[in-house]
Amino acid sequence: MDQIATDLSLRSLQERSVRPGGTHTIRNVVIVAVAYYLGAEIAFLIGTLSDRIFAPFWPPNIVLFCALLLSPPRQWWIYIAAAFPAHTIAELGVGMPMPQLLVAFVTNCMVAIVNAFGVQRLMVEPPWFGTISKTIIYVLITAFLSPAFCALGGAFVQILGGGSIDDFGLFWARWYASNALGSLTLGPIAMICLESTTRPRLAPAGRAVEAAIVAAFLIAACIIAFEDLPSIASGYLPLLLYLPLPIIVWAAVRFGAKGASGAIFVISLVLIWRTLNGLSLFDIGSPETNVFGMQLFLIGLSPPILLLGSAIDETRRAERTTRESEERISFAAASSNVGLWQYEIATGTFWATDYCWTLFGLSRSEPLDLDRLVSRIHPNDAPIAGAALRSAVLRATPRDAEFRVQDSGEIRWISVRARPVAGRAGKPAAIAGAFSDVTARKLAEAEADVQRQEIAHLMRVSMLGELSGGLAHELTQPLTAILSNAQAGKMLLAKGSRALSEIGNILDDIIAEDERAGEVIHRLHGMLKKGEVKHEPIDMNELIASTLQLLHSELIDRRMSVSFDNAAGLPATRGDPVQLQQTLLNLLMNAMDATENVPPARRTISITTATADDGGVEVRIYDCGTGLPPSREREVFQPFFTTKKRGLGLGLSICTSIIKLHGGTLSLQNNVREGASAVFRLPPPLD
Amino acid sequence: MGDAGFTTYLVDDDPAVLRSITRLLKAGGYKTKSFSSPQKFLSAHDPSVPGCAIIDLVMSELDGLRLQEALAQSGSKRPIIFLTGRGDVSTSVKAMKAGAVDFLTKPVKRDALFSAVGHAAELDAALRQKRRESQSIDDRLAALTHREREVLEHVIAGRLNKQIAASLGTVEKTIKVHRGRMMAKLRVRSVADLVRLADRAGILPVRGDL
Repeated sequence: MDQIATDLSLRSLQERSVRPGGTHTIRNVVIVAVAYYLGAEIAFLIGTLSDRIFAPFWPPNIVLFCALLLSPPRQWWIYIAAAFPAHTIAELGVGMPMPQLLVAFVTNCMVAIVNAFGVQRLMVEPPWFGTISKTIIYVLITAFLSPAFCALGGAFVQILGGGSIDDFGLFWARWYASNALGSLTLGPIAMICLESTTRPRLAPAGRAVEAAIVAAFLIAACIIAFEDLPSIASGYLPLLLYLPLPIIVWAAVRFGAKGASGAIFVISLVLIWRTLNGLSLFDIGSPETNVFGMQLFLIGLSPPILLLGSAIDETRRAERTTRESEERISFAAASSNVGLWQYEIATGTFWATDYCWTLFGLSRSEPLDLDRLVSRIHPNDAPIAGAALRSAVLRATPRDAEFRVQDSGEIRWISVRARPVAGRAGKPAAIAGAFSDVTARKLAEAEADVQRQEIAHLMRVSMLGELSGGLAHELTQPLTAILSNAQAGKMLLAKGSRALSEIGNILDDIIAEDERAGEVIHRLHGMLKKGEVKHEPIDMNELIASTLQLLHSELIDRRMSVSFDNAAGLPATRGDPVQLQQTLLNLLMNAMDATENVPPARRTISITTATADDGGVEVRIYDCGTGLPPSREREVFQPFFTTKKRGLGLGLSICTSIIKLHGGTLSLQNNVREGASAVFRLPPPLD
Repeated sequence: MGDAGFTTYLVDDDPAVLRSITRLLKAGGYKTKSFSSPQKFLSAHDPSVPGCAIIDLVMSELDGLRLQEALAQSGSKRPIIFLTGRGDVSTSVKAMKAGAVDFLTKPVKRDALFSAVGHAAELDAALRQKRRESQSIDDRLAALTHREREVLEHVIAGRLNKQIAASLGTVEKTIKVHRGRMMAKLRVRSVADLVRLADRAGILPVRGDL
C-alpha cells in the first residue's frame, strides 16, 4: 500500500512538472531559488557569528540536489537555471569575483547532478532510507564517490580565490568534507521531510511528544559530551563521548530512519552552536582546523546511525508486510469458512487463526489445545473422529477426517487436513493444516441422499407396478391351495369321515401355503417400504433366488426361461438387501424387455455368480435380446436415457448409484454373439 | 355324483394347488387324476374314458390354450374347464370360442368348481350318448346291400314302390322284398322312424323325378 501511494505521488509530482509552464513548476522554481539563496546566506551567517568556525557544509547544494531528485532529468535545466541567479546574488553579496563564482556554481551543480542521478538510478524511489542496501548506496554515492570526484574541480574555487596550487590536496579535502557532510546531515532529513510531505501523515500526539523528549535528551547529552571539560581526566573522555549513543539508539529504534536522520541533524546543530560559542571539544585551533575536525567526526558518526535507522525501518516494514499478509490470508480463509492452524511439535503449542475458535465454538480467551478441540467433537463421532483428529494434528496422517461439532444447538461439520512442515534433518518441525466448515456440503449431500432414496423407492414402486400381474398370481396360487384344502377338509368332516390323517395333511398344506403367501407379501412389503438403508451380511445366491421367485409368474407370462448358475462357496457381501434386490430386479426386467422380440423358444436369461479376483462377489446377467444400441453403451447410464417405449430412463442410473454406494461397479456390454450382459461386482466385507 | 366311469383330469404345474384341488374333487366324490405337467397329461390321455379336464391357464411348459389346441388335434372332444389367476377377458373369450366349458378364476370356490364339473359331466355324457347312437345307426346302415340302400334313399324321398321299381328297372314285387329287408335290418317299423334315422345319419333322399 505504501509503495503504491508513493508511486502515485511521485508520478503525479513528475506529471505536474512535465509542463514547464505549469503553475506548480513555477512555484517550485521560485521555492528552489529562494531556498538556495537562503541556504547560502545561512552558511555565510554562521561564518560571521564567530571567529572560531564557519559553516561546516554548504546547504545550497542540498537544496539543488533535492530539487533535481524530485524532478525528471529533462527538467533539471530549469532548476539549475533558477539556482544560478540565487547563487550569483548570494556570492556577489560576499564579494566573490566572477570566475571564482562561476567555477563554484559549476562544481556545485555537478555534485548535485551526480548525486541526484545516482540516487534516482540506483535507489529508484522512496522510501529512500527504507532498507539497509538503499542507505549503503546513498552513503557510497553522496558521501564518498560523488563529492570525492567533484572535489577535484571544487578545489579550484579556493585556488582561484588566491590559494596556492600546492595546497590542492588540502582544498580538495575541505571541499570534499563540506559536501559529504551536507549529504549526511542535511540530505537525509531533507529527503525524508520531502518524502512525508508528498504523503502527509499526522503523527499521533504521543509520538510527537516522544520525539520532542528524545530531541531534548539528545541535545542535553551532546552538550555534556562535546563540552570541553578540562577538569575531566582524558581517560574518561571516550566514556563521555558515548553519552549520546543510547539516545541515538532510542531515536533510531522508535522512529527508524526518520529518527536517525533527525538525531544526526540535532547533533550537528548542537556541535555547530557549541563551537560557535567556544564551548566545544572541537574548539582547538584555527577555524579551518576546528571545522575540519568536526566534519570528519560527523562524517564518521553519521553512516552507522543512518544504517541503524534503516535497518529498524526495514525490519518493521517486513513485520508489517508479514502481519498484513497473514491478516489477508486469515480473512480469505475465514471468508471461505476455513481456519488455519499450525502445531509446533517441540512445544506442543498451537498457532491458529481466529476462525478456528469460532468453528469449534470456543471462546477466544482460552488457549487452543488438542484436548480442548477433541472435547468439542459430537459424542457420536468422538470415538473415531477424536482419534482421527489427534493423528491428523500429531502426525499429519493424510486421511481427511470429518466430524461434527455441536455449538449451542447448532451442528457444524468440520473437516481437517494437515501436512507436515519440514524441519531440520528431514524431521517435521510442525504440522500445518486447516479446519474447514463443510456443513453446507454435508447438508447438500444428506439432501441428495434423501432424494436418491426417494427416487429409488419410487422406481421400486413403479417396477412392482409393472410386475403387479405376476405378483398377484404369486399370491393367488397359495390362496387357491388354502381355499381348496379348507373346503375339501370341511366336506370330509361333513361326511363324518374318520380319515384324520388326511385332515392333518390338509391342515399341514394350509399352513405351508399360508406361509408361502406371507412370504410373498413380506417380500413385497420389503420392496415397497421406505426403510432406512441397512448394512447387513448378504448371501448373493439366496438374494438372486428370492428375486427370481418374485419374478416367477412374470417370467412364465413372458415365456422366458432363466438359468441360474450359482457358484458354491460364494463369499458373503454386505449391503442393503432391498436396494440390491431392486438392482437385480431392474437388470432382470431390462433383460426381459430386451428379449421381447425374440421367439419364445429362444427367450433365455442366464445368471451366474462368481468370486471376484479381490474376494468380492461378481454377478453376471446375460440375455439374448437386441443388445445395447451401438455406440451408445455409455449413454445408457445417463439419467433419462431410455430405449424403451414406456421407460423413464432412470433404472440404470439408480442401479449404478446403488452399486456405487456399496463400493462396487456396474457395467453393461454387448455379448459377442447376441444380446447384452450386465455385470456388477461388490467388494468383500471390510472386516 | 356323475357316471360311474367319469374322471376329472386336473392339470396344474403348482404342486400345492394341484394337491388341494385334487382333494376337493375327491371329497366331492369325483374320480380324479392329477398331472403336474401338460406333457404328462397329453401322453397319458385316453379319450375313451369319460370325464373332463380342469387346466391351469398359465403354466411354464405349455399354456392352457395350447393344451386345449393339442387335445382338439388329437380328436378328443373332452370338455375343458380353465382355471386362471386373473380374469383376462381376451384370453377367456379365446378359450370359450375354442369350446371351453367354463373359465374359473382362482382362488376357485367349491360350488363354482362343482357346478362347472357337473355341467362338463352332463356335456360329456350327452356327447358320448350321441356318439353311441350314431355309432349304432352306422352299424345298421353298414349291413344294407347296395340295392337296399338305393331303395332307402327312394323311400325317404316319399316315392311309391311302383315308382321305385320303374326307376330301378325292376318289378314292384322285388322292391317290396328289398324294402321289407331294409326296414328289418334298420330295425324301424314305420316310414316316419326311417326318415328320422336317415336324417340323423345324414342320408339324403334321392332327387329329381326319374
